[in-house]
Amino acid sequence: MFSKKTLIVIKRELRDKLFSKTFILMTVLIPVFLFGVLGIQTFLMSFESDSGSQLAIISENIDLTEKLQSAFNEAPIVKSGSYKVTFETQTKARFDAYLDESKKSILDGKLTGIVFIPQKAEQDKKVEYYSKNPNNNTLFNKTRNIINQALIDLYFTGRNLSAEDITFARESVDFSSYRVSSDEKIEEEGFGNQVLAFLFTFLLYFSLIFLGTMMMRAVVEEKNNRIVELLLSSISSKELMTGKILGNGITGLIQMAIWLLPVIVLISSSIFVLPAEFILKINLVHIVYFLFNFFIGLITFLGLFATVGAIFDNDQDAQSGVWPIMILIMIPFFISIAMLSNSENPIATVASMVPFASIIVMPARMTIIEVPLWQFALAVVVNVGTLLLIFPAAGKIYRVGILMTGKKPKWSEIIKWLKYKY
Amino acid sequence: MNALEVKNLCKSFGIVKAVDDVSFGVPEGSIFGLIGRNGAGKTTTIRMMMNIYLPDAGEVFLRGEKVTAAFKDKVGYLPEERGLYKKMKVLDTLLYFAELKGKSGKSVERKAVEYLEKFELADRKLSKIEDLSKGNQQKVQFIATILHDPEFIILDEPFSGLDPINTNLLKEIILDLKRQGRVIIFSTHLMDFAERLCDHITMIDQGKVLLSGSLKELKSKYGQKHVSLNFSGDISFLKNHPIIENIEDFGSTLGIKVKDPSQTQQLLKLLVDHNVLVNKFDANEISLHEIFIHVTGKESENVF
Repeated sequence: MFSKKTLIVIKRELRDKLFSKTFILMTVLIPVFLFGVLGIQTFLMSFESDSGSQLAIISENIDLTEKLQSAFNEAPIVKSGSYKVTFETQTKARFDAYLDESKKSILDGKLTGIVFIPQKAEQDKKVEYYSKNPNNNTLFNKTRNIINQALIDLYFTGRNLSAEDITFARESVDFSSYRVSSDEKIEEEGFGNQVLAFLFTFLLYFSLIFLGTMMMRAVVEEKNNRIVELLLSSISSKELMTGKILGNGITGLIQMAIWLLPVIVLISSSIFVLPAEFILKINLVHIVYFLFNFFIGLITFLGLFATVGAIFDNDQDAQSGVWPIMILIMIPFFISIAMLSNSENPIATVASMVPFASIIVMPARMTIIEVPLWQFALAVVVNVGTLLLIFPAAGKIYRVGILMTGKKPKWSEIIKWLKYKY
Repeated sequence: MNALEVKNLCKSFGIVKAVDDVSFGVPEGSIFGLIGRNGAGKTTTIRMMMNIYLPDAGEVFLRGEKVTAAFKDKVGYLPEERGLYKKMKVLDTLLYFAELKGKSGKSVERKAVEYLEKFELADRKLSKIEDLSKGNQQKVQFIATILHDPEFIILDEPFSGLDPINTNLLKEIILDLKRQGRVIIFSTHLMDFAERLCDHITMIDQGKVLLSGSLKELKSKYGQKHVSLNFSGDISFLKNHPIIENIEDFGSTLGIKVKDPSQTQQLLKLLVDHNVLVNKFDANEISLHEIFIHVTGKESENVF
């Protein structure tokens, strides 16, 4: 299976792929794209549609109105100018008329909304919001605390409490997360590993699909313009397939290593210091596992994509026939993304040790929780085992398919190919 | 002595028997033609000889020993459907295919450049294949077939899709290789090419061998009592004539079989006596095309 001729094929694939424009472009563009996505998200968040909001706050109690006014004037949303707030004191009866008068400016968009704080709210904190867009969570989140502060202030006024007590009462609860692990002391957990888990998942997903599709195209091309017959007059189909897969696998591994270089530098040196909340809690062993896992997964999927390429003799048919393999990549991707919000998700735990899924789910899982050693071992055994199991079958379909041209084969025929003596 | 011996090869695809018990020998230093119509099983046979397909049954022997994977290095193969990597450069392509045959290094590179010069492609050695004309791509393909100095050259329908210049070029290459003592095997459905180039032929149809042997022997065997005729005029008087066994129309020529070899002169006299204008009269001569039609019994119809 592996011979000098396999090496020659690997050499050609490396030369063909590593120096190709596509490879260089992708290696550079993916990090740019990832940072771009993060950047755009941050930008969009900072540029929420609520800036320029015009809010009218009406209360029935003049004292409350004053307290609201001072609380809002200190709040960053007003200071930065993104919210303009007017305050008025009106009785409930008068408010109804006011609402009628304001209807036009609300519909025109001159007024974003009216917050009405009835007398009763001083006891039950229930306030009313009138707007064209009444379920504006961004606005609620930004004003909720400020209104609450004013209500608390009012409630405690004249009750002989120290300013300290009131400050305490005004604070809301703030979560700090700590990671519990066996080998280290309990440490404060930041967003770093969440981001890393997302990064791992995305890179695996993207890389498998991108390199796999490239592989499939190359096989279709060889089959379509009949180079393959010339190649097979010199080497066996096994040598050819092995050479192509290893060549492309090594290319992918090099690309992945380049992408991970910043992560490796960050965790192995102290030159760059990240803010505490972005500290990465993984070590080089994780990176080595990640790369090993990626290589095994890549070889597995390249084999599958090459097989699909060998079945069809044009790109369109191949694209439409590749869905079973795409599903093997996409479902684990979604499991992995879902796991980011709940690391104890039992589906994710199982998926991290199931053939094919393990390749994508396990790396993300190991960055957000501590995975027991036996689970790592099982994942490695499962992945290598899958590779060894599917290869003989894939090789056979490849060998038969690569010289079949003409009619698009049915799935039942492909099963028959497995029984052919080739 | 036979350089290659093919014994009882069989290959089925599903229910289709592509090759059915095919045996033949390829003599040393010969040009051997595997002849048959499209779909007769020629390519499948060749692929089994090259170990691209595993035969269902049968074996191929190289000078008395069963062929192994090492045989591939000794063969230069030009498939019927030809293709090269479009984005690869001419010289890189040649060196890659030579390397796959186990030949690499400076000497191969020098030889590749020599061939490129011979075929007037020296200035294109750094061009990409896709930038070459189709005719020039075919030339590159020829060079790739012979660059590693193979002992055997297997050409599958070599003349299909070639322009006249490349057809002549390939013929010269074939004859040149024959002079160097190489064994050349080619498959074709073009009988006149086979007739002009081959020493030995095997004719197959529907996966089965119809006949096999040296072209000379076959011709004298089938040519007996046979006359190839080119004429104009009325020959209906030959119908049911006592010396005529049968008459077949091969399109451009008429094949007439007499009952006894001595009767050919009598036939010529008959034609002249009946004022038939004889343009060509070949006694005891038969073309490969005529043999093929005679043996398969297809495409032929009686004139009358």
